[in-house]
Amino acid sequence: MAQHILNAVALGSVYLVFALGMALSWSTIGILNFAHGATFMFSAFTAHVVTQHAALPMPAVVLIAVAAGALIATLTQLLAFGPIMRRATDHRSAELRILIGGIGVAAIPLAIAERVTASAPFGFRGSTYQAQVFEVFGLRMTTTVLVIVVAGIGIGVGVWRWLATSRQGLALRAIGVDSETASLMGVDRSTLALGTMATSGALAGLAGALLTFQLGAISPASGDQLLIKAFAIVVLGGLGSMGGVIVGAFVLAGAETFVLAMNQGTWVDAVSFGLIFVVLLLRPQGLFGRKEVRRT
Amino acid sequence: MRVPHRWRRLRRATACALVAVAAVVMSGCDAAEGGIATQEGIPQEIKLLGVRDQTGPVAYAGIGGARGGKLAITEINRSGFLGDGVKLTIEEIDTAGSIETASAEMAQATADRTVHAIMGPTQGQQAATVAPMVERAQVPTIFTQAGSDGVVINDYTFRATAPMASYYHLATEYLAAKGLRDVSVLYNATYPTFAEIGEGAFPKQADRHGLNIVSSTPVQSTTQDFTTPVRSIAGENPEAVVMLLTEPQSVTALTQLRQAGYDGQVMGTSVQGGGNLTEAGRHGEGVIYPTDFSPALRSEKARDFVAAFRERFGQKPDVYAAEGYDGMWWLARAIKASGSASREGIKRGLQQVAKEGFDGVMGELTFEGNDMRVPGVLVRWNGRSEELVSDGGAS
Repeated sequence: MAQHILNAVALGSVYLVFALGMALSWSTIGILNFAHGATFMFSAFTAHVVTQHAALPMPAVVLIAVAAGALIATLTQLLAFGPIMRRATDHRSAELRILIGGIGVAAIPLAIAERVTASAPFGFRGSTYQAQVFEVFGLRMTTTVLVIVVAGIGIGVGVWRWLATSRQGLALRAIGVDSETASLMGVDRSTLALGTMATSGALAGLAGALLTFQLGAISPASGDQLLIKAFAIVVLGGLGSMGGVIVGAFVLAGAETFVLAMNQGTWVDAVSFGLIFVVLLLRPQGLFGRKEVRRT
Repeated sequence: MRVPHRWRRLRRATACALVAVAAVVMSGCDAAEGGIATQEGIPQEIKLLGVRDQTGPVAYAGIGGARGGKLAITEINRSGFLGDGVKLTIEEIDTAGSIETASAEMAQATADRTVHAIMGPTQGQQAATVAPMVERAQVPTIFTQAGSDGVVINDYTFRATAPMASYYHLATEYLAAKGLRDVSVLYNATYPTFAEIGEGAFPKQADRHGLNIVSSTPVQSTTQDFTTPVRSIAGENPEAVVMLLTEPQSVTALTQLRQAGYDGQVMGTSVQGGGNLTEAGRHGEGVIYPTDFSPALRSEKARDFVAAFRERFGQKPDVYAAEGYDGMWWLARAIKASGSASREGIKRGLQQVAKEGFDGVMGELTFEGNDMRVPGVLVRWNGRSEELVSDGGAS
């Protein structure tokens, strides 16, 4: 039982790092970035290409993926989402166009990675890092799992508290509530939006690197599968609540682990998403969302 | 009433346009009734179309099939196999992993009366969607991969890939011979080929050979992390694990299985071929799997094929390339056997060659109806390349 809980915590941490980036941009600057999965994948792919030419330790590989993720997301904001938001007549049309724009942006890195790898799995075989296996109180885990759990929970709580207490976090929340009023109060929306997207991309890159170390390899399509789960996590936790994202990630991972532990692997998606559906029927705003939708 | 001048001009222009459209439609009808590809005999150029994934999630299968086919075409044309100056040509059209694109491209391809035959999509769902179109248009189409039901369904559909289940007995026989009797099965139950083996073929074969299935663990195509199922399997400590998973899943499951402390034999599938286990590093070493082709095969045909492929493409051929190569030779033999490159001639020829069988790079090829069968080969991944365990008659 304790081993299953540990497995769920490890899986939830991966989901959390990935979903945090998506939740951050969605719940503050109103960008539901459908290119987040492609950013995740392409960051890992970039690190994969580098490790084919240089034997790097884990921190260096992670750093490359984080930098690649931040760069991709910044470019996406500068070249796609920024112009879309400037030209949109109202918030609703901007959201729709960003959604479609994100799908379009995602197609580019996906096509490049598929072309280069012929859709074969890729990992960090060139890295000097080798996961070590150890046992604590009869629980078997790897150093990768340890890094993921610490990073996931640490970053999750960090982002949550930063948004709740820091000056910039408050400014971001103000944009989430009413961007026009926030601008009148002196909040520089464009700069904060760029910074938020860069942070979101960096988190996608971090998730890409950590998950690739954990799984051994991912494929160009791996980001799409995680995107759906992250979407469910944010909706389950409640849009606008970073605490909700943390809980949502572990609830989804717990449900999946439970179904797998029961040897009912084909029901994983049905049970997990069915559970989310039930929660949303009873609490449409999500577990920690407010009835009136107010972002973070 | 006098029609204004500009309206007369517009009317005249409309009439001209209608006549032009009618002419195009009429010529199209003429082509549909006759056309180059319906004429008996062997013309100087035999035009083929490859409608398969060159990009998308299973691009590796389409690219491999196309490369194998191109190599075969070069050999067929260079050797004058179909007569002096007779040339096979092929144009590849990318279905990009999309059923809709495959359907649209096949509709165009089958309507083109200059196309003699088609090399069809490699993805099962795409192939099953276009198979009825092939019959309606009466264009002989050879599929590679596309292991789903509903692909080889009529006289015009052919498949140059043996179902995995038809040679998976090599794995079961190996486990029995090595005395590895307690076996756990980890399989992707939403992938039809793996579900068929995991739930049908393997349990039957295991029963016949006295193997004991300790556990059978289904997962989905969307499963990315295998920590929970492999921990359970490692806890059972079976003598062998049969792993029926897709490429990225295999790498993860193997890595996590070894990290969970399992060091017994892992038996995979041909999906692990083509270097797909490379990313698993040391965790992939020692995995054994049955496949329809391996560059390690020792037959003269296989060795020549591997050498020619390496020279042309700079890498070893995979199963997809071998299937594309043997599929193209099946087509060339069919044209020769029927003495005609017409669509009907090719169909007759393919059926005739299928009845007789032939020797290909995958070994002695036989057929069940329009569906290819291979002897199969059992190989071991040593971390860098495949080693022959038993050739099943393929050499």
